[in-house]
Amino acid sequence: MTAPLLEISGIEAGYGNGPSILEDAGLTVENEKIHCIIGPNGAGKSTLLKSICGMLKIRKGEVVFKGKRLNGMRPDQIIALGIAFVPQERALFPKMTVRENLRMGGYRMRDKNELERRVGEVMERFPILGEREKQHAGNLSGGQQQTLAMARTLISKPEIVMLDEPSLGLAPKIVSEMFSIVKMMAEGGITVLLVEQNARIGLQYADRGAVLDLGRTIFEGPAAEILEDPRIKRLYLGGGKAERKPL
Amino acid sequence: MTDILQVLILGIALGGVYALMGSGLSLVFGVMRIVNLAHPILIIGGAYVAYWAFRLWGADPLATLPLAALILSATGILLYKLVFEKDAKSAKYSEMTVLLTFSVAMIAEGALGSAFTNTQRVTSPDYATDAIFIGDLFIPTGQVYAGAVSLAIIAALALFLKFSRFGYAIRATTQNREAAELMGVNVNFVGVVSFAIGVGLAGAAGSLISFVFSFFPGKHWEWIAVLMSLVVLGGMGSVLGTVVAAFALSVIAAFVGAWIGSTWSTMTFFLALFVILLVRPQGLFGERPELA
Repeated sequence: MTAPLLEISGIEAGYGNGPSILEDAGLTVENEKIHCIIGPNGAGKSTLLKSICGMLKIRKGEVVFKGKRLNGMRPDQIIALGIAFVPQERALFPKMTVRENLRMGGYRMRDKNELERRVGEVMERFPILGEREKQHAGNLSGGQQQTLAMARTLISKPEIVMLDEPSLGLAPKIVSEMFSIVKMMAEGGITVLLVEQNARIGLQYADRGAVLDLGRTIFEGPAAEILEDPRIKRLYLGGGKAERKPL
Repeated sequence: MTDILQVLILGIALGGVYALMGSGLSLVFGVMRIVNLAHPILIIGGAYVAYWAFRLWGADPLATLPLAALILSATGILLYKLVFEKDAKSAKYSEMTVLLTFSVAMIAEGALGSAFTNTQRVTSPDYATDAIFIGDLFIPTGQVYAGAVSLAIIAALALFLKFSRFGYAIRATTQNREAAELMGVNVNFVGVVSFAIGVGLAGAAGSLISFVFSFFPGKHWEWIAVLMSLVVLGGMGSVLGTVVAAFALSVIAAFVGAWIGSTWSTMTFFLALFVILLVRPQGLFGERPELA
């Protein structure tokens, strides 16, 4: 069995000096698969992704990526290892053009020609971005902004892309477009770690899933298994009205 | 008509210098969220570098401009490391920097005052007292030189910000610090370098004002309101906005000075600051501040 790409074990993390949001969160992310983390609001899903990429300080436990411990590293150092993250708010530069935003996706690349080639490639793959290359990112629609944010991660050819609620605030038609981008990433050999409030859709596209509640990982396994588990269905997939207590 | 053109030319020439003075302040606010009330005293620090180089070695302030910029940049790095770096992640950072930079301004004023006294100084290269005559129009050579050099420096800064890799990092950090980090930008390093550039611009501006205005350490109080009005009208953090505001207010101040009286000329900036904050607090190119 090959070593996992990303291994998170027993981490505790929170914002500033506030209480810990994650109490004992763990996750094993295997190579070239789509992983989906589900859980109710406030479970710590976004906190987990932010902790992985160094935006929050890990108080306990560890995050290991390709055998390298990430604890204590700065976000820019973690990104340089091949991790990309699209947060909920999409992290675009509103007063930069679409092309400039894409260039920022390859900020760490030294070869300018190669960067331009990849920007061109991405604009070809996502024609809507090519059509709007001179437009400021702040003037794009929600769906276009999300496309830009996700497409931008491809510039640096990361090994893993973490997406926090890619469907948030988008119309159903656009949501399926976003998930086809997720699928395309995975087919291209990129591992995707997804946090999704829309649990059913997220799990349908995922190979593996994890359930997070009250800052703890309470289940991890094949996505299909989670979709069929009656207790998870009842508690987290809107299958019943049971009082919510973690499993 | 000639009168109007004359005033307009004088306003534009000075506008370039104001633009350079304000652009460093704007850059530092944009990237670092530091409201640098010490910027004017640092400009005066640059003016003293030019003054002493002129007085001791007869060096032209235009020639010693890079030296002033370099010395002030180094001062900026030191200042950042000693004063600002520690609390850079605090949620109340901007508010804290108002008090911190106010203290720095007071200390620097005291230090410069005790070293060089509060006597008015000015460098006097030949061109400072020359003038160019075009028909009936009179253009002070010193102001033209200062304005032209200022614009050249601002143009170089704009090209650097627009096209260089590090310029992208600065612009990205200004617009969305967290997103810049996620693109692999070391935002702390960008912050230090931007602060050094901003203070270096103050040094360069100091060299230029050394032959355009007389200066002394206490003069920075007057400059604070002038520079704040430029930065606020332009939109906090927008270098382009600051440049546009500098030319607009400088021209208005020149007309006020010519038609109402020179004492009212400076008042234009103070009044503008007050009115902008009341009517359009986000300025020309800034985003509307959240009031809640």
